[in-house]
Amino acid sequence: MGSVVFKNVVKNFGALNVLRSLDLAVPDHKFLALLGPSGCGKTTALRILAGLDMPTAGKVFIGERDVTRLQPRDRDIAMVFQSYALYPQMTVADNIGYPLWIRGTPEAGRKAKIGEVAAILEIGHLLDRRPRQLSGGQRQRVALARAIVRDPAAFLMDEPLSNLDARLRLTMRGEIKRLCQRLSATTIYVTHDQVEALTMADLVAVMQGGELQQMAPPIEIYDRPANRFVATFVGNPPMNILPAALSEQGVTVATGIVPVDQTRLAACRLAEIVEIGLRPEDCSVAPPGEAGALQGEIYVVEPMGNETLVNVRLDGGNVQVRAGRDFRGVVGESIGVAFDPANACFFNSAGLTAVHRVNNNGRVT
Amino acid sequence: MQRGSQARKYRLQGAGLDLALPYLMLAPGLTIVLGVLVYPLWDGLRASTRAYRYGSPVADVGLQNYLHLWSDAQFLNALWVTVKFVALSVSFEAVLGFALALFCLHEFRGIRLLRTVLIIPMVITPVVVAIVFRLIYASDAGMLTALSKAMGGGEVQILGNPLNAFIGLVALDVWEWTPLMFLILLAGLQSLPHEPFEAARVDGAGAWRVFADLTFPMMRPVLAVAIVLRTIDAFGTFDQVFVLTRGGPGEATRLISIYGYDTAFKFQQTGYAAALFVTIGLVVLALAFSAIRLLRRVDAS
Ligand SMILES: Nc1ncnc2c1ncn2[C@@H]1O[C@H](COP(=O)(O)OP(=O)(O)OP(=O)(O)O)[C@@H](O)[C@H]1O
Ligand SMILES: [Mg+2]
Repeated sequence: MGSVVFKNVVKNFGALNVLRSLDLAVPDHKFLALLGPSGCGKTTALRILAGLDMPTAGKVFIGERDVTRLQPRDRDIAMVFQSYALYPQMTVADNIGYPLWIRGTPEAGRKAKIGEVAAILEIGHLLDRRPRQLSGGQRQRVALARAIVRDPAAFLMDEPLSNLDARLRLTMRGEIKRLCQRLSATTIYVTHDQVEALTMADLVAVMQGGELQQMAPPIEIYDRPANRFVATFVGNPPMNILPAALSEQGVTVATGIVPVDQTRLAACRLAEIVEIGLRPEDCSVAPPGEAGALQGEIYVVEPMGNETLVNVRLDGGNVQVRAGRDFRGVVGESIGVAFDPANACFFNSAGLTAVHRVNNNGRVT
Repeated sequence: MQRGSQARKYRLQGAGLDLALPYLMLAPGLTIVLGVLVYPLWDGLRASTRAYRYGSPVADVGLQNYLHLWSDAQFLNALWVTVKFVALSVSFEAVLGFALALFCLHEFRGIRLLRTVLIIPMVITPVVVAIVFRLIYASDAGMLTALSKAMGGGEVQILGNPLNAFIGLVALDVWEWTPLMFLILLAGLQSLPHEPFEAARVDGAGAWRVFADLTFPMMRPVLAVAIVLRTIDAFGTFDQVFVLTRGGPGEATRLISIYGYDTAFKFQQTGYAAALFVTIGLVVLALAFSAIRLLRRVDAS
């Protein structure tokens, strides 16, 4: 009942081009995370979907219906605003119940529903307060409650967890995911937190500079990034990118040669790749001088508790390496970096991923 | 090692000149305030307890002047006319001003010009406004009569008819002071956050519900301040009436200020007039205080 489609949507603010031909199709009942750095146009896209802004060009559909020129209230959506947008004169309970009240839901049903969502979001004790008597995180949860109190065709959430503390964010993440699955409504969830995007979504759309970079399930975004931007934006710590040159035996990176299987090597040659991308977990520290490992020196050591992040300076640049929790290294020490090239990506001069990792079934793209 | 010998002289905080300075700086202003505000006020209060003849006090009458007010039919009538005038004018101004402010909130071509034009009446000298309105209302050569004749009617009697004169006076006040309401309310509307309004649109509220559930509740404090301001001001309306009708015909437009003026300068009852104005001053003060109290309560709940 609520697939969401953007067709060639363009948005200009005066001379500023914020969205350039955005194409996005979210199937019904799917949870889409819209991921991108600050200022890339996520909120703008959401506001166009909500009907608060008109696109300069292009069309928007909700559930096969062209809603491009419809009033927000005729689109059957619920939205969580980045700035909460609570009604300052109303109590929390009235805020949450407002969408129901507007639709003439009887008092009893409204009360029950308000109590229910307030319990989920742990704000049951705040129902009689006014928004200005709440903390930022509490306000955000009220805004969230006001959205999920109804059963709309689509949920639009603009960074609904950005102001919560780490623990609450973790629990709310789970609650929202459960809730959206239970309601099975189409959800567009804007975030610049990639962990949220990867953990909650059925589909992740990565945006940059007003353009869609890639839309795919989370695993695929992580394993098979479409380009250099997606590769470095998704993943924490980010993927290491090093200049690479092709040679007879394989791919030369820094001072070493990376052994790559023949099929992929051929593909690399064809695409004239210039860079290699390696995830930190595919790299490992090795004793200095080990054969096949790249040589470098320790630049920074960051113990995380469960593991240690080691930043190693190589010839071609720095790489982040995930090492065990018992790694003990001293800054300045020389060290080797070994890696598993099976998961490496290769980028061509346009920044597109020319050759991906080896698939589970050994197929190569 | 030699530091001690060249110790600087420190001036301590909160002593000597530091203490006296604020008072010294206040003194000139304070003197002026005492001279032009406090002394006349006190003199007025003193006058209100005396009886005058030919401009000089002749007897102390205590609260006699104040008591006499409440059995003076002319005073009671003037009070009633004033209350009617204030209630009618201020309500019209509030409703009109609010409507105009809501309209001018939208951005469209020419909006700036419109906003400027709308506040012109407010900046014209009240006496000039009154003279212009007298020209409009005049039964022989007035604009209304001319209009009526052009459409085949007869002379329009405004200032000669008690009810029409009163309505004419209210119309003048509304014309002159709606801009002030408009200006205050427009500033209030422009300072409201706009996200809640967007949220309401998404939540399904139409234009009327947005107004009733959001705009109006959020604007209530501003509206209250504007109404209190205008009410206090309207109680003291004098110049327009003085020029337009002098309180006539009969007592139809004789506001409290006109009656007080007449008692003081026509009938030379200085003490009685002083008592009258002190009473009105207290009434307005009480009104303002209760309005502000009400406002606080609304705000706190
Ligand atoms: N009303 C507006 N007028 C002019 N420029 C705007 C307007 N709204 C947004 N922009 C610009 O459009 C760009 C995208 O803004 P948008 O709010 O969509 O970013 P975002 O992806 O939501 O960022 P964030 O993660 O920081 O919320 C920004 O460069 C911003 O300055
Ligand atoms: Mg945003």
